Amino acid sequence: MSQVNRLAAGGRIDRSKPMSFSFNGKTFQGFHGDTLASALLANGVGIVGRSFKYSRARGILGHGAEEPNALMQLHQGNATVPNPRATQVELFDGLVSGSTNGWPSAEFDLMEWVGKIGGKLMPVGFYYKTFMAPQKMWMTYEKFIRKAAGFGKLSLEPDPDTYDKLNVHCDVMVVGAGPAGIAAALEAGRSGKRVIIVDEQNEFGGTLLASNQTVDGVDAAAWAEQATTELVGMANVTVMPRTTAFGYYDHNFVCALERRTDHISPVSVSGSRQRLHRIRAHQVILATGAIERPLVFGNNDLPGIMLANSVSTYINRYAVVPGHRCIVMTTNDTGYQTALDIQAAGRTVVAVVDSRHAPDGRLVQAAKAAGIEVMTGHGVIEAQGSKRVTGAIVAPLDETGDKLTGTGKTLSCDLIAVAGGWSPVVHLSCHTGSRPVWQDDVAGFVPGPTIQNQHLAGAITGKYRLSEALNAGIKAGAAAAGTESAQVFNCGDESEGAAQALYLVPHTKPSSRAPKQFVDFQNDVTAAGIELAAREGFQSIEHVKRYTAMGFGTDQGKTGNVNGMAIVAKTLNKSIAETGTTIFRPAYTPVTFGALGGRDIGVLLDPARHTAMHPWHLANGAAFENVGQWKRPWYFPQAGETMQQTLNRECLAVRNSVGILDASTLGKIDIQGKDAREFLNRVYTNAWSKLAPGKCRYGLMLKEDGMIFDDGVTACLNDQHFLMTTTSGGAAAVLGWLELWHQTEWPELEVYFTSVTDQWATCSFAGPNSRKVLEKLCTDVDLSAEAMKFMDYREGTVAGIQSRIFRISFTGELSFEVNVPADQGHYMWKKLMEAGEEFGITPYGTESMHVLRAEKGFIIAGQDTDGSMTPYDCLMGWAVGKTKEFSFLGERSFSRPDTARADRKQLVGLKPKDPTVVIPEGSQIVMDPNQPIPMDMMGHVTSSYWSECLGHGIAMGTVKGGSERMGETVYCPQADGRVLAAEICSPVFYDPKGDHHND
Amino acid sequence: MHHIYCPYCEEAREEEEYSYTGEAHIERPKDPAAITDEAWGDYLFFRSNPRGIHHEMWYHASGCRRYFNVTRNTQSYEIHETYKMGKLPTITAKTIAADTLVAQQGDAS
Amino acid sequence: MTSLSTNVSAGDMMESPLHHHADHTNASAGGIVMAEDKFRGHLNLRGNPEDNAFTSAVESVLGVALPLKANTSARNGDSVVYWLCPNEWLLIVASGTQGQVEGDLRLAMGDQHIAITDVSSGQTLVNLSGSGLAQLLQKSTVYDCHASNFPAGKVVQTTFAKTGTTMCKLEDGSMDLVIRRSFSDYFFLWLQDASEEYGLRVA
Repeated sequence: MSQVNRLAAGGRIDRSKPMSFSFNGKTFQGFHGDTLASALLANGVGIVGRSFKYSRARGILGHGAEEPNALMQLHQGNATVPNPRATQVELFDGLVSGSTNGWPSAEFDLMEWVGKIGGKLMPVGFYYKTFMAPQKMWMTYEKFIRKAAGFGKLSLEPDPDTYDKLNVHCDVMVVGAGPAGIAAALEAGRSGKRVIIVDEQNEFGGTLLASNQTVDGVDAAAWAEQATTELVGMANVTVMPRTTAFGYYDHNFVCALERRTDHISPVSVSGSRQRLHRIRAHQVILATGAIERPLVFGNNDLPGIMLANSVSTYINRYAVVPGHRCIVMTTNDTGYQTALDIQAAGRTVVAVVDSRHAPDGRLVQAAKAAGIEVMTGHGVIEAQGSKRVTGAIVAPLDETGDKLTGTGKTLSCDLIAVAGGWSPVVHLSCHTGSRPVWQDDVAGFVPGPTIQNQHLAGAITGKYRLSEALNAGIKAGAAAAGTESAQVFNCGDESEGAAQALYLVPHTKPSSRAPKQFVDFQNDVTAAGIELAAREGFQSIEHVKRYTAMGFGTDQGKTGNVNGMAIVAKTLNKSIAETGTTIFRPAYTPVTFGALGGRDIGVLLDPARHTAMHPWHLANGAAFENVGQWKRPWYFPQAGETMQQTLNRECLAVRNSVGILDASTLGKIDIQGKDAREFLNRVYTNAWSKLAPGKCRYGLMLKEDGMIFDDGVTACLNDQHFLMTTTSGGAAAVLGWLELWHQTEWPELEVYFTSVTDQWATCSFAGPNSRKVLEKLCTDVDLSAEAMKFMDYREGTVAGIQSRIFRISFTGELSFEVNVPADQGHYMWKKLMEAGEEFGITPYGTESMHVLRAEKGFIIAGQDTDGSMTPYDCLMGWAVGKTKEFSFLGERSFSRPDTARADRKQLVGLKPKDPTVVIPEGSQIVMDPNQPIPMDMMGHVTSSYWSECLGHGIAMGTVKGGSERMGETVYCPQADGRVLAAEICSPVFYDPKGDHHND
Repeated sequence: MHHIYCPYCEEAREEEEYSYTGEAHIERPKDPAAITDEAWGDYLFFRSNPRGIHHEMWYHASGCRRYFNVTRNTQSYEIHETYKMGKLPTITAKTIAADTLVAQQGDAS
Repeated sequence: MTSLSTNVSAGDMMESPLHHHADHTNASAGGIVMAEDKFRGHLNLRGNPEDNAFTSAVESVLGVALPLKANTSARNGDSVVYWLCPNEWLLIVASGTQGQVEGDLRLAMGDQHIAITDVSSGQTLVNLSGSGLAQLLQKSTVYDCHASNFPAGKVVQTTFAKTGTTMCKLEDGSMDLVIRRSFSDYFFLWLQDASEEYGLRVA
């Protein structure tokens, strides 16, 4: 059997399902139920990667989310995934894995000499200090650093997988399905409440799955199975394994990532690979457990040095013993369990090295009774070995553990199991802003006060005994569900000795000269580095973190933070409570971008809104433009045309005969009530009191600062009924604006607003022949110039459909807009096309509309204005009512000194000196092209087009004091070195008297 | 993600349904023409930015399209109350300060 | 006030928002069934619920009392009234009758401060049902549609993917959704995608 470390019996693996997998190109065997880590250990694989900064050989330290070293590159090609922890990857047949770094391989790493020789040359803050200057070299430095230091690689191909999201609601959410979480879920579930319990592992049970204890006389793992079966049987309980609650947000909102197929194949065969659950819970129970702390001593990062409870887990759950001659170094009773587990697995326990001088708990007794050598008052001060631990220097410590009291001796071993105490997993509790608090009796940080409806149970509170966890779970479940329970579990685990807090095992040399004593394995942060940071003046723990990188990366300080903070505190002569802790942000463990994106990708990224006539536009080859979320026809190219040729054809058709535009996207707001006029008076700049039924008026809407925010034509349908139009992109904002003023300031006005944007389809047709087209379809309205004047509104029948007809123009030509219920919009469009055929009716898009309106000097709010333009700045003082009774929105701001300045930027026409030139939109405008840089910016070009009907380029732009500069020449320097000259002129280039639209 | 009780829909809804629309209880001057530029400037541009209790307007954009007021702690994001437009808050920085003298121990700051 | 009644006589004149998706049935086992109840009359009604004259006038025309409680509906045969906000309701009536209903309402209310707006063409009524419905709704809306929170007859305006909807749960557990016309293509694209694992049948 090639699995040299696999036990013949035991564990929760299925020996009838062997699986082969590869790691760094070699093929190995494992079993169903293995993690990649347990399978690698079973095969005696020691080195799994290289460290971040010093390129040191690293092995597997832990067995779950805490693993800092074993970051893997999984799968191949476009399915490749960087950085999952081997400890969290379920083995499947054919799994391809490798180290994320190390070149040419993790086993033989050429970068290692940099770490060895450069160790002293790469102190904390190395990158800051070394690559600080010159600044322009940073880009070069960064490339080198990234190549040398990165973890993992992304595929540049599209992700072959799908991901989705669910919005989930529940009464009680339980995070963690160890003993506390299971007990809590049972209690809450039995109450009938809607309960969700999630756990990141494939099986529920947590520590129960690798425990030798009993629950009320039942074997722990069997009890976990029974309890899980009961939970699964409850219709009101949702049981979610392989699901990590990675973020805890405000008001009890929890995000959890469910890995649905990662344990089966590299790419999901059907359905989503991962699912993001967005969970709103009335009550949240955190039963997230605790993570064992490594001990900080010389060379403590050598492969073969592992967390003690991880060693126990590999033995009991996976039937893997990761060593033959083992030393257990502990500061508390739990390490003794590992010694017992190693011995029971038939391997040698060289010694238990306990920093305490007189430990006497239940497990200590048991170890001694089993004949295991116990060295009390001792510590491992240094590990020996190069690619794997081969021995340990063990030396006597004083009572506090701070000082050596004698010389050390060397014990040979190939595994050091370290039990440095426990750190409650407070990460989630911090996500909503709660700061953890230090508790001396726990020797760890526990969750601080919070405003969330949050309950805690088990090891997260620093209570580590199994019975405590179970009983706290019942209590939390009852509290969250509003029930009461008298259930008490008995596990016979009452007697346990006190732990010693030991954060840095002393060495014969000071940290700065001792072999590296690692605190944060993933970020290569050492005790010496932290001490140096403190000596260099970094006193705030947040600054130490950023200077040293402790707690960075995917690791988030799970194993290292407490040791590191204790070392900072000691260096600064403060208590840990005074030094405090950094807090943790989401995500607890990394989350794929795919899961965060879910299905909101591709065509579903942003809704595309379509008009009723959209099928016609598609069928007739329209090129589309995004206007807000709308897809509007941009232009309708015909075979062989350039875009400019299309625009020229479309514009000339309007000027010479008739063109038709789908204007359905304009925002439309139905306004009813006897105070509708008064309301319009207040929100528009001009006067509405005298607008007669059957008439339309153009209005400008300002924010209170006097700046244009939207514009449009409003029609008076009758005295108490108006139809307002807005810009296509501004409809929702305008409706919100009207409601805001009505609801907050003027609730006494009797008026109601209803959005009818989607209700009406709008066909706008313009040109000298537009009346003739309409006359063919409409017989019940007198459309003559005398009867239906410019800015008139009528109701009538067009093509058999009752319609609203407006004679308004955005092109400067005679123009009509026919509004019909959108169900009939497509039909109406087709009828107008038929009726217009004899006149060569030409569909045109937004681009020609822009050209036509610019020829007339009509603004587009949001293109020619940018939230800093008043009506006067746009030379539209004509649209401002001077004698209105009510001080309309924005009026008062006209007299503010800044708004009243004469040299404000004003919107003017710009006629290129070279008639063939079209000045690029956005060009800056200067008065003196020869002025040295920085030049005085006078304004910029807001709209610019080729006008086929005028035979030259036209533009609009803002120019400081522009209205007083008519006839002056301005210049637009271009990036390519050209300087385009233009003359300031009236923005109305075409038909300044308005003869055409008045026809 | 906030969970906000809409006083018009009479139930708590997800933050996605709402938009934040600024400080509450800012009244438009009755006669804008009669006030100084400075007073008008204050009304236009100056808003309080407290660390702690803040009264603000939210718009139930995807729901009932009503504006309403929220008393919210800008530091902890705790929502103390929501109330209809035109009403005044019952919980303010002052009432909280009085309460916290008694129960500050458990505050999440 | 006058209103325009909609001419519904000519079939080829009218296209419902989802008409061009009728052929998109892509599953024999439809875990999701979508049925568009097209061309219904939709009227938006505004008025003062504390004014007896208003509520009784509405009741006299609709034959059912206006739902005044938040998030509720009232049904009379095929017609239904949704509460939208304290002074706003959506009336969904038989196809083509909206003009008549509007006229009757205006007559009954005299010169009260009310508003009635025909929005029949601007939105459509869609019924979703099927074994996959609960999870499909979880994918699509942030609102909790579980029976304990969303009983039959309840009306909720909320988000649906990246658009909005007004939803009403029916007695048979299916869900009626009001979808805006311009978002209907997006709605259908979303529905197709979200229902892929259950199968979608367009009824």
